Amino acid sequence: MSTDAAKLDAFRKEVRAWLKANLPKGWGTPVYNPPDPFSQEAHELGKSWQKKLYDAGYTGFGYPKEYGGIERPPQEIAIIREELMRYGTPGGPLSLGQLMAAPDIMAHGQEWQKKRFIPKILSGEESWCELFSEPNAGSDIANIQTTAVKDGDQWVVNGQKIWTSMWEFADFGILAAKTDPTVPRHHNLTCVIVDCSSPGYTRGPLKQMTGSAEFGEEYFDNMRVPDKNRLGEVNQGWGVVLTALMSERSGGGGPGGGGFWAGGGASDVAAALGTGVLGIYSLINLAKETCRYGKPVWEDASFRQKIAQIAIEQEAMRCSGRRMVARMRKGIMPTNEASMIKNFQAEMRRRHGDLATEIIGAYSQLNRGSKRAINEGQWVYQMMRARGATIEMGTSEVNRNIIAERILGLPRA
Amino acid sequence: MEFGLTEEQEMLKTSARDFLETECTRNHVRAMMEDEIGYSPELWKKMADLGWLGWSFPSQYGGGDGNFRDLTILCEEMGRALLPSPFISTVVLGSMPILFAGTDKQKQDFLPKVVQGDLTLALAVLEEDGDFWPGGINVRADKRGNEYLLNGTKLFVWDAKAADYLLCAARTKRSPNPEEGITLFLVDAKEWGMYITPLDNIDVLRKQYEVVMTNVPVSVDNIIGELDNGWLVLKKMSLYAIAALCAEMVGGCEKVLEMTVSYAKERIAYGVPIGSFQVIKHKCADMLSGIEYARSLMEWAALALTEDAPEAPTAVSMAKAYCGNVGKMVCDEGTQIHGGLGYTWDHDMHLYFKRVRASDAAFGDGNYHSELVAQYLEQV
Repeated sequence: MSTDAAKLDAFRKEVRAWLKANLPKGWGTPVYNPPDPFSQEAHELGKSWQKKLYDAGYTGFGYPKEYGGIERPPQEIAIIREELMRYGTPGGPLSLGQLMAAPDIMAHGQEWQKKRFIPKILSGEESWCELFSEPNAGSDIANIQTTAVKDGDQWVVNGQKIWTSMWEFADFGILAAKTDPTVPRHHNLTCVIVDCSSPGYTRGPLKQMTGSAEFGEEYFDNMRVPDKNRLGEVNQGWGVVLTALMSERSGGGGPGGGGFWAGGGASDVAAALGTGVLGIYSLINLAKETCRYGKPVWEDASFRQKIAQIAIEQEAMRCSGRRMVARMRKGIMPTNEASMIKNFQAEMRRRHGDLATEIIGAYSQLNRGSKRAINEGQWVYQMMRARGATIEMGTSEVNRNIIAERILGLPRA
Repeated sequence: MEFGLTEEQEMLKTSARDFLETECTRNHVRAMMEDEIGYSPELWKKMADLGWLGWSFPSQYGGGDGNFRDLTILCEEMGRALLPSPFISTVVLGSMPILFAGTDKQKQDFLPKVVQGDLTLALAVLEEDGDFWPGGINVRADKRGNEYLLNGTKLFVWDAKAADYLLCAARTKRSPNPEEGITLFLVDAKEWGMYITPLDNIDVLRKQYEVVMTNVPVSVDNIIGELDNGWLVLKKMSLYAIAALCAEMVGGCEKVLEMTVSYAKERIAYGVPIGSFQVIKHKCADMLSGIEYARSLMEWAALALTEDAPEAPTAVSMAKAYCGNVGKMVCDEGTQIHGGLGYTWDHDMHLYFKRVRASDAAFGDGNYHSELVAQYLEQV
């Protein structure tokens, strides 16, 4: 073994030892009872885990030191990611900080904003949400009706937001509001960083078909935001919105994910799909353990075909992530490809959910609360949750338009 | 292992594209469709001069010491240009078994000639059931003195009329394990007792043949690899063949998408370009996305083979299943979006459509490789 290889091997052992010492007690064994994914408990666990990782120097890559970034050789980062995946470590806090806010602030923020906000996003201490969608501005996100009117060195915000992911525990949000009714769409929005504890900011849950309230809605009643919190120029908010959406789409969503701007990316998310509930091995195990008509599902050729298809798609996604990283190394930054990644992942998630429920047959009718539900009803939940995946972060249809118009250059209607 | 292209590979790709755009014109392709042997020996010689035929062979046999990924780059460009040639038959299906299992004398006798463009090869393996598996091989080879006599019929043999020699898999021993008892013979295509007739297959640019053998004599010196152990050599070669076919499919699909998008921008219906309709846009977006992920798996398979990585068989099966399905989808939608025009003989769309169908069927289709993937997953 060369000295370099020996050093990396020693580093891997160090990471493993650290993980063993720091993971929650009983982690990865049946003794460990994980908290409900959108509960306060899950958020607290994610926060403390993220902080531990950050303090150990195992997260926060891809940002300069002066903004709290952790610098390490790429080989070490790869080892850290592999080991985190191997142990199926906890997700981060319920926050869009790493996935959306940090890349957006990095791209459009003022110096003080980068210094003030990015370090605490990386350490997980502060949580973020994105305040873009409205009842009449979903796919047509430029149709935002919430207004912000300048009053001295403050903005006065009035309106409503909806479908807010990670809404409940957010300390800050990036809000897009209409600031000039006289100019055309795409030139009339301004983005500001909002403190969620501001007077005039109220929020509540929005219950979905799954029965969970993973999303929230917010109302702003004469909420005041200082102009120094403005992210980007006045009436230039559309670009700020696009950066956020693109980071989010390419990262693929989910708590704790780091968009590819953060130096992680689609490849990691895809690789993470290999383990956990959305991974291929969970499906294989389910198919091996479930008997239908007297024999294990895994022995049924048609089910094997479908499971193999999903495994192939997951690998394809992993390889595309690696191709993207290779292009980025040459300085070619991905932009609209994010729509392709997002759609592929969301649509695969639907097939994954459908297949799992096909495997369990009659039990696919039972909610998470049912005493007869299989695996606490997670398959049924995931099947229904996947219906949100093809709508959030730009519907599949909107993303197909983006791919066709901006990558292939087909004419707009 | 790094995805994407190195600077040298970019240059190879660009120069291959330029060369084929000049040499493999539409007129050339159309002429070869009608041609009996189906390729141009003059163009073949030029390909040899560019070093393509020996690109990935070791220099001791006149090759360029290039790697397998380089070879698949050439295949991408050939797929794009619809190049009618026995390139895959000669360089991959015929030569790789010699490279993997041949004696040094066999390598010295055959490979430099391949590199020079003086020798073409074809693979005769499939028989009546049409499947690439050892149980399907029943052509008999019986020993008589210092030679074997081959008897039986091979089907779906690519480029047989273009080939000087056929690498033929024949049964030399009956065994409960069908993999055992298969031997590879390099047979002179002009040998007494060889009857080669066209099958009239749909892909007119890669003609397929029936090869009937009646007491065809082959010297023991022309056995490639060990007696009775030929299947493993074919199985190893098939991984490379599949990766080459996937590269060809991806190259072809990229061209189909370009043709389709440019048609959708130009074709006016109801007063507007049809590409402004969302239903057309969404089909095009799905084609692009399919090709993106097909390319990723194809590159993974080619890189894994280049580096002799243990995951190569999994990568190859995943790539084959995915590229075949995407290839069929892309050609279906391409044909559909071209409307009546794409359904005509004079338009090139059907040539891509048919090539993809042929490549999908070769060396195991999507269903077959998905089952292999399931088996690999089981072992993890």
